[in-house]
Amino acid sequence: MVMKALIVDDEFHAREELEALLNETGEFQVAGKCANALEAIQAIRREKPDVLFLDIQMPAINGFELLSMIDESHMPIVVFVTAYDEYALKAFEESPLDYLLKPVEKARLAKTIQKIRRLQKNGEHPVYAGQAIRKIPCLLSSKVKLVNVDDVEYVRSSEAGIYVVTASAEYYTELSLATLESRTGLVRCHRQFLVNLDLIDEILLQENLLAEIKMKSGKRVPVSRRHLKKLKETLQF
Amino acid sequence: MHLLLHLIQAMAVFVVIAYAYCKSPWFRPVVFGSLGARDKIVLYLFFSLLSILGTYLGMPVQDAIANTRAIGPVLAGLIGGPLLGTAVGFTGGLHRYFLGGFTALSCSVSTTVEGTIGGLVCLYLYRKGRQEKRLDPKVGFLTTFFAELVQMAIILLVSRPFGDALSLVQTIAVPMILSSSMGAALFLNMVQDQRNIFDRVAATTSARALKIAERTVNILRRGFNRESAADLAQVIHEEAAVGAVAITDTEKVLAFVGYGSDHHLPGEPIASALTREAIEENRVVFVDGVRASYACPLSKDCPLHSVLVVPLEVDGRVIGTIKLYERSSQRFLNMNRALGEGIASLLSNQLLQSQYEMQKSLLVRSELKLLQAQVNPHFLFNALNTIVSILRNDAGRAKDLLIHLSNLFRKNLNRSEDLSTLEEELEHVHSYLEIEKARLAGRLQVDMEIDPTLLGLRMPTFTLQPLIENAIKHGISNMLEPGRAVIRARRDNGIALIEIEDNAGSFVEKEVRDGHGIRIVDKRLKILFGAAYGTTVACRPGEQTKVTVRIPVGGG
Repeated sequence: MVMKALIVDDEFHAREELEALLNETGEFQVAGKCANALEAIQAIRREKPDVLFLDIQMPAINGFELLSMIDESHMPIVVFVTAYDEYALKAFEESPLDYLLKPVEKARLAKTIQKIRRLQKNGEHPVYAGQAIRKIPCLLSSKVKLVNVDDVEYVRSSEAGIYVVTASAEYYTELSLATLESRTGLVRCHRQFLVNLDLIDEILLQENLLAEIKMKSGKRVPVSRRHLKKLKETLQF
Repeated sequence: MHLLLHLIQAMAVFVVIAYAYCKSPWFRPVVFGSLGARDKIVLYLFFSLLSILGTYLGMPVQDAIANTRAIGPVLAGLIGGPLLGTAVGFTGGLHRYFLGGFTALSCSVSTTVEGTIGGLVCLYLYRKGRQEKRLDPKVGFLTTFFAELVQMAIILLVSRPFGDALSLVQTIAVPMILSSSMGAALFLNMVQDQRNIFDRVAATTSARALKIAERTVNILRRGFNRESAADLAQVIHEEAAVGAVAITDTEKVLAFVGYGSDHHLPGEPIASALTREAIEENRVVFVDGVRASYACPLSKDCPLHSVLVVPLEVDGRVIGTIKLYERSSQRFLNMNRALGEGIASLLSNQLLQSQYEMQKSLLVRSELKLLQAQVNPHFLFNALNTIVSILRNDAGRAKDLLIHLSNLFRKNLNRSEDLSTLEEELEHVHSYLEIEKARLAGRLQVDMEIDPTLLGLRMPTFTLQPLIENAIKHGISNMLEPGRAVIRARRDNGIALIEIEDNAGSFVEKEVRDGHGIRIVDKRLKILFGAAYGTTVACRPGEQTKVTVRIPVGGG
């Protein structure tokens, strides 16, 4: 069975080379090549690849950070590809992660393929201990804005997508609510909302076990019946 | 004719006196041109005696005396001004007056006038700012010549009967005018020779001091220790030509060269109370061997008799002494004392300088090594991967890149000189940029705006590389959008500015970690060119980082 692969590397020639190498093995179908983390998040959601070949050193969001931004439900098997990273890679030696050094040797790639096959055969669902997200990548018209988690008042999900809201602005992000909930300190207060507890001004209790949160900026965030109980426990009121 | 010969004889006596005078201590003020009241009295007495002697050495002619009396007053006037000239002339004249004869009055008046004339010439030359000319033999000759002419006129005007006066002047005029003028000229000639000798001595002393400075500057670069002190003492001993030279630190003798080196041994603790005094009180101690003698604490047979101990001071702290000795048979020359103190202050300065330079260069050099080492792994493996990738489709380009890579590393390894020209720096950077452009494909654009007249500009080697690397590694390669770097070299108010701009504007957040390269570049520029030069960074976050390097045009 041919595996679906996604290549993420900020260098054009590195992507081309790896694609050629993967094609030569006959084991992969390269579903896409991404130049940065944002393209990668979209492509993973769209293509649902089996294997992700991920460069570590990339602009704005590096490979490790990207890993923590992928929804666990879509998590592919990850192979780090790096030119040189003596320290960071040591930490992954015991994990299901594999890594390749650039320039990539065919023989070394063959071993990696064996390891991936073994993982698939065992049916293991890859779980990677992701690090906390400190900055949320958000798309502006032509730029990427990295929004500091501490500045976020709340995150809301709508049909148009996920929006990160600060006191002064609102940004669109590719990250899912589930990812943000598990990798940041933001707390779920509603099916469609995460809230930053540090920026809450007051909580207005309503009838029907509903509530509304007033943020320091004055913005209001709804609290659903289901989440009010947990919120009460967390904040002890 | 007989008269002329006689007067020349008298003049010869003057020349001998002049010679003796030039060798005497009273002559010094004349050389150095500063006459105090005491000096003027001495000059007055000397030239008055000279004038009176002129009268006595004269020859009686027709109830008068043919003489060289004028030389004293004229010279006194020339050297000491109108007052001194007139006073000497008056004294000589008064003496002549009491000798009597029909020219007694006229001669005494004229001698006074002659002194005044000498003085007026002196005054005139001072006003013109050409006072040096007053000791010129030619000026002396002409002044005396004129003064004697005036004397003849006065004799004719004052002495009676006129017939006798006229007859006298006819006889004495030519011999007196000639002999006196020549006498004055010869006297001044002697004075000038003596001055030249003084100048030469002063020049020799300066030359010796400079020679020592020149020979010691490289020795002290090696620090202040037993080896360098031994070389230092050797040089000073050779150049200062004293009996012995010692150099100590604050506890022991570091070096000893010359007489007494059999018992004055390097490595021994300081034995002399004089040296300890010099160190503790940070002052020059001098025992001249006349009023007090240096008694060697180590050996009774020590030939050394006089000593000069000068502390060596660095940053206000005494770190040792330098000692010059003379044997009992040699007088400790004042000149050598001055030289000794001069050498000590010179060595102190050189020590301070070398200490400072050594610390700085050690620091900067090790940091530079670190910087060069930092270039390696990431860059190298990424570059190799890029080349391997390109090789698949474009072997020619891959080959070019490999050559750039080997150029870059060769230059990194070989660039041992301290200074490079802008052109060399740009060449070095060129290979680096070619590789980075290939690696980042369309994401890096580099524009050069170089004033071609600045290509010869000199700066520390590795000035540009770290700055450009910084702009790319920590700037443009972290951008999601395409990056643009500008390397600019231009003149601004007589200073060369090299600007390295990128459109990442990520300097501030990276400052703490990666400002390293810029800091070293800045430090090296400041050491080389001074605090007014170096690097400055301006950053508009997210828009632009601009590093500006200021270098003096024609500096270095």
